[in-house]
Amino acid sequence: MPDQAFDGAFEKAGAATGTAPAAGAVPAVRIEGLWKRFGQQIAVNGIDLVLPAGKFIGLVGPNGAGKTTTLSMITGLLRPDHGRILVAGHDVWADPESVAEVKARIGILPEGLRMFERLSGRELLAYSGRLRGLPGAEVDKRATQLLDVLDLTGSQNKLVVDYSTGMRKKIGLAAALLHNPEVLFLDEPFEGVDPVSAQTIRGVLERYTSSGATVVFSSHVMELVESLCDWVAVMAAGSIRAQGPLAEVRGSAPSLQAAFLELVGANGRAAAGDSLDWLGGGAGPAATGATGATGGVEG
Amino acid sequence: MSAVTTPTAPAPSLTSVFVRLKLSLLRNGLRQSGGRTAAYLSTIVFGTVFAAAIVLAFVLMRGSADADSIAILVTGFVALAWAVMPLFIPSGDETLDPSRLVMLPLRPRPLVRALLVASLVGIGPVLTLILVLGAALSVAHGAAGTVVAVLAVPLSAVTCVALSRAVAAANVRLLTSRKGRDLALLSGLVIAVGMQLVNFGAQRLGQAGGLESLEPATAVVGWLPPAAAIGAVDAASKGDHAVAAARLLLTAAALAALVYWWQRSLVRLMVEPDGSTIGAASDAGTRDKSDGAGRLGRLLPGGRTGAVMDRSLRYIGRDPKTKAAWVTSLAIGLIVPIFNAFQGTGSIYFACFASGMLGMLMYNQFGQDGSGFWMVAQTISTTADAYAELRARALAMLAITLPYTALVTAVTAGILDDWSRLPEALGLALALLGAMTGTGAVTSAVFPYSIPQDSGYKNVAPGQGALAWGSILGGMIIGGLLCAPLIGANVYLHVSDQHSLLWLLLPVGALYGWLLVLAGLKLAAPRTANRLPEILTAVSKG
Repeated sequence: MPDQAFDGAFEKAGAATGTAPAAGAVPAVRIEGLWKRFGQQIAVNGIDLVLPAGKFIGLVGPNGAGKTTTLSMITGLLRPDHGRILVAGHDVWADPESVAEVKARIGILPEGLRMFERLSGRELLAYSGRLRGLPGAEVDKRATQLLDVLDLTGSQNKLVVDYSTGMRKKIGLAAALLHNPEVLFLDEPFEGVDPVSAQTIRGVLERYTSSGATVVFSSHVMELVESLCDWVAVMAAGSIRAQGPLAEVRGSAPSLQAAFLELVGANGRAAAGDSLDWLGGGAGPAATGATGATGGVEG
Repeated sequence: MSAVTTPTAPAPSLTSVFVRLKLSLLRNGLRQSGGRTAAYLSTIVFGTVFAAAIVLAFVLMRGSADADSIAILVTGFVALAWAVMPLFIPSGDETLDPSRLVMLPLRPRPLVRALLVASLVGIGPVLTLILVLGAALSVAHGAAGTVVAVLAVPLSAVTCVALSRAVAAANVRLLTSRKGRDLALLSGLVIAVGMQLVNFGAQRLGQAGGLESLEPATAVVGWLPPAAAIGAVDAASKGDHAVAAARLLLTAAALAALVYWWQRSLVRLMVEPDGSTIGAASDAGTRDKSDGAGRLGRLLPGGRTGAVMDRSLRYIGRDPKTKAAWVTSLAIGLIVPIFNAFQGTGSIYFACFASGMLGMLMYNQFGQDGSGFWMVAQTISTTADAYAELRARALAMLAITLPYTALVTAVTAGILDDWSRLPEALGLALALLGAMTGTGAVTSAVFPYSIPQDSGYKNVAPGQGALAWGSILGGMIIGGLLCAPLIGANVYLHVSDQHSLLWLLLPVGALYGWLLVLAGLKLAAPRTANRLPEILTAVSKG
């Protein structure tokens, strides 16, 4: 995502939504000393994080780094043990008043994507829009447009339980966008999604951020993060290893992938595989037995 | 035995590989959890006791006039159970799932042979063998009978297993589709209703001249494999050697045909898409096409209340677990008072059973949402939101349970011809329904637990069983206690002979019930609003 696209977009933002905060003023998310432990395991180890508004933000880290736990606590789905989280300037875990402010301003697409699966795609949107207090006619209008843009119109009357992974992500995204949130949190939005659906999702997200809204998404696909995000936070073992603009986090490394492996300390595993000397062309399936792979390895 | 793979290494036969695979899967399954081991061991103990009892019963029946009928019909019933079992308990056996075998270079004939032998390993086949052995023992007399029995017992047991596998393979397309999984979730219901029918049939049998009325059925089933094999033992014992031979050959032919059918299905399955692919590809465009909320939605109020009611009511028909719970409650709530009324042992107060059963549907509301509850949690930020959510769920439930309670009470009164007591009974029933709904709302907020969606037999995730039972039992006791004032008033009016005032219990009961619902919702709302993350964690387990 080139930077000038955002620069141009910010002018439009105020006029288009009216609710979007001015860039650089209130961060989309501010986290102070966030802690969460499950039994013996510390999932999130006292992190501090500031995610600026109006950016496309990638939260990256290996499996088990604490990304999902952090996103759950930011979005009000999991109670932290310690720490403070502000979304668009409102404390997520303070009084009901500010919680209501937060919940009205965010949209989420959680991992695992369990929804009310026995509703059809259209019914799901109608239901979640009305739960959010939007007028029925407005919900139906927006649902029609979202279904159209996300290429789900043909399947709108099918039950969500019968949807494919890509379709589930898309209907989840539609439900998350329906109330036009200021900040959108997506947990692994592209995992298991085919390239066509991924491109559709990407297009919608780019259009959304270009109007001044913020997207925070977690992923472990570095190429994707590198091509989409302008701001990155790297998590590993419950801590933030780096945060900042993409170019800053990447530093002198040739790619974000290389920088990431460096940051999480996983470079040592790259040379593994020396012991698989029998693997490769020429050995044939009949060569059983562990020893004596004489002619098995070429080059 | 088939020698496959390379000629250089002496490869084990496919059959022994599959038998060992089956044993390993069994062992590893047990190692996974202590509860499963306990369940398995208790199944073995129970099965052994059951088998011993059956064999004993059959032996005691030897020589009795009805022994042949019982032996043949029991074998027929066992075969029927084997045939329908895969439809309700799919993929219980991983070694037999063809989708796991498609990558291997296996030929159909040795594969089917290996699979058949592997399917004989397990509690079910062994119990079947014992049962059939008992059946044969009860009818085998003389040398000819014994010889035929030696052939017939394994033959009919193997035929049962082959029948089951052939049916399962032929229905893989159904079983791997979502509809098939929904069907499996309803199996508990089918079994419960089936047991009621068997019970009813047995009672009728007791009244209608005993086992002699089974003779025509025996004549037919005695020619149907695998019961025909037991029929052959019976015929041989009675000296009808031609009939015995014909029945034995018929069973053997049926076994061969079943194995052939199974093999053909397997070969087809390995190259054709299964139900999941077909389900994803076909467009189920038959649903309500109207915009947004649909026809049902137009009848309901707007906003959150309408949306939540709409969703709750749709789920009764669409979600198999919800559907099973509703059908069970509705059926038992009707059957208990009405059957008792028919048998002359009933009282109109049994109609309260219906409102008790139906009121339990309000329990664990959020557990019924599963981890989809986050969508609800995201839109609740104040006590007022939580109140609206709970009230809408209660309204959706009452939209069905309220008229149903009135109907059951009226029907019971009609059967008993006790119309004069209808008002007081209905008043009590409504108060109980209100009490259960109110306590249900509170326990939903305070003691939520997860309902796993993957299994038809698990309604509680591991570790939450005590919570589930505790909340239901506690809620029922408290619900009963809350109705105590009304029950007291009823008793008092009867004892003090003020029958003319008994009608008052209807408006009082209805009002009291309504107040209990409101009180329950008021108590539950702040607890729901404050505990959203905890509720979400509790209902997402398992």
